[in-house]
Amino acid sequence: MSNSFGSKAMRFWPMALLAGIAILAIVGAAALVTVSGRYNVAADVPHTQAVYWLMQTSRDRSIEVHAANIVAPDNLADPKRVADGAGLYAEMCSRCHLAPGTERTEISRGLYPRAPELGRGVDLTPTEEFWVVKHGIKMTGMPAWGVTHGDKLLWDLVAFLQKLPELTPDQYRALVKSAPSHEEMMGTEADHGHEDHTHH
Amino acid sequence: MKRGNRFCVFTSNLIFGAFVLAVPGVSLTAAVAHEGHGMTCTETGINALNADVQAIRDGEAKTRAMKEMEAAQDMMAKKNMEACTSHMHNAMDAYEE
Repeated sequence: MSNSFGSKAMRFWPMALLAGIAILAIVGAAALVTVSGRYNVAADVPHTQAVYWLMQTSRDRSIEVHAANIVAPDNLADPKRVADGAGLYAEMCSRCHLAPGTERTEISRGLYPRAPELGRGVDLTPTEEFWVVKHGIKMTGMPAWGVTHGDKLLWDLVAFLQKLPELTPDQYRALVKSAPSHEEMMGTEADHGHEDHTHH
Repeated sequence: MKRGNRFCVFTSNLIFGAFVLAVPGVSLTAAVAHEGHGMTCTETGINALNADVQAIRDGEAKTRAMKEMEAAQDMMAKKNMEACTSHMHNAMDAYEE
């Protein structure tokens, strides 16, 4: 019995020592890369595939988890909501995320990671889109619009995003033209308060 | 020249003219379509296009674009700028899909 315990211990400690050394080496290497300044943070040099995957996966999972308890309003298809959202989109988003019939802009070409062209559709649910629009995303250039805009306006924007991939350039322009001005919408929201019936 | 012959010459000139105009037109259209992306075979151009390709939604088009970009980088290393540019155009075609 004691012999068997002894042989197990003999096998365990060298393995534990090796694992400890490996962990220390990884942490040491990460610390070295961090403090040496060797990793290039310039926006005109893309991440390696491994780093890009790590950041993309962290971002996608974070959005999924944080948006899990949000409940979307049931009138996202309301034409008034979609039209109001079009006005907001043209004002707040189109320079980076582009719009039907528009050329790539200087800012859209220089941002890293690139802002997704939302007209091509995205893999997010409406509640996930709402969370992203409201809270922004660190180190991407995506601002937290919730700091300056109430939930009602942000849901209008999300309502519009559901329609965006189907729109022709003419339809997009017509929708934007039919929307109230940004100032009007901000004023309306201040008058009526925030539509905040969800937990986020 | 007979009237029928004159018509034939006119028609063939028209067709030839249209062809001459169409060939550069096609390359011009392709160039304009890719104008929004840095299409020069330089480190800056390759980096810009790599960043564009990373932003494509996962799928067959992205895989193809990434392979084309690898080939473009190989060609740039071998100083074959024409092949490099061609691969960059192919990557962009996948991006535009």
